[in-house]
Amino acid sequence: MDIMITTEGDHPLVTLAGRFDAFETEAFRAALDDLLDGDTSTVSVDLHDVQFIDSSALAELVRAMKHCREAEGELFLHRLSDPVRVILELTRLDAAFEIREA
Amino acid sequence: MTSDLPAYRDWAERPVAEPVDYSVVIPAYNEAIRILPTVGAIAVHMSSLGKSWELIVADDGSTDDTIELLEGLELVNLHVLRAKANGGKGSAVRRGVLAARGGVILFADADQSTPIEQFGDLLAQIEAGNDVAIGSRAAEGATVANKSIVRKVLSTGLNLMVRFGFGVPFADTQCGFKMFTSNAADLLFRRQLIDEFSFDLEILYLAKKFDLKVAEVPVEWIDAPGSTVDPTKVAIEFVRDMAQIKWFDIRGRYSNVNHSPADDEHVIGSADSPPKAQP
Repeated sequence: MDIMITTEGDHPLVTLAGRFDAFETEAFRAALDDLLDGDTSTVSVDLHDVQFIDSSALAELVRAMKHCREAEGELFLHRLSDPVRVILELTRLDAAFEIREA
Repeated sequence: MTSDLPAYRDWAERPVAEPVDYSVVIPAYNEAIRILPTVGAIAVHMSSLGKSWELIVADDGSTDDTIELLEGLELVNLHVLRAKANGGKGSAVRRGVLAARGGVILFADADQSTPIEQFGDLLAQIEAGNDVAIGSRAAEGATVANKSIVRKVLSTGLNLMVRFGFGVPFADTQCGFKMFTSNAADLLFRRQLIDEFSFDLEILYLAKKFDLKVAEVPVEWIDAPGSTVDPTKVAIEFVRDMAQIKWFDIRGRYSNVNHSPADDEHVIGSADSPPKAQP
């Protein structure tokens, strides 16, 4: 999975591409922890180019969301691919995350 | 970019009418952690193809929440087959395949280790006139990620034994991504006698015995963490089963039908359309 970090407005945008599974959670966590170690407490994650996300990756997103909220920030999920959207619905995690369409 | 969501929503809510074009069968044993993402990925991709299709999860006596999670999805074209006890992956696949109504039937592992996007690669081989198309991690053009050294060594050794000692001419017999015409599936799975890991080998042995046309298709394969397969145990069973398959054949056990869809206990879930008629 490719991880690209840019800026969107006043907070970082993490764009993921590929298969987000248990083998990729460590790299994702390292990238997020680097961002959240500073003054940042809000992060957006773009999932448009993620075709599959497994349970370990979902758990990692939940961990990141909690981390952001504990710092009074938020984790936004952006531009969900169709499979990711349906997987979030089937696992009922769509209600837990702040999802932005644009 | 066109969204596949409307097609998925339609599939989720409207029972497919017969004839069913495609059936996807997932064998599952204690897959509560992994099954929902797999169902989601398969449902979106298959719905995007514009054909009628059904998803069958053949549970293998799970003791976790696999069945409850699937029931809770309320997807009308998802059929869940429950087993009375854990009978082995081969028994789960057989029950699923024999209950399938599709003209083309794929079985795929529950961990999405072979991504469903490769359905079309196998289908092209069926449409070209083959009876069976098998995903292969060893054919030229295949890509394999995250496979452990132990599994690599064992699978290479076993594949060599199968090819040269057993006469089944395929580079990879064990990939959990295989497609059949409904006629081929009926012929093979009704005769299947091996219920455990090496059932794939038996199915391919039977395909050769009955002169079916089999295409080996290179696939992308990603080892999924949490596999319940113990490579060493499986290797020992595999060698034992090779001898057993030969013995079954010598004794004429494959001349007869050994199973029918009626062997399955029952279907649960929100299946408005019944499994195919019993013979």
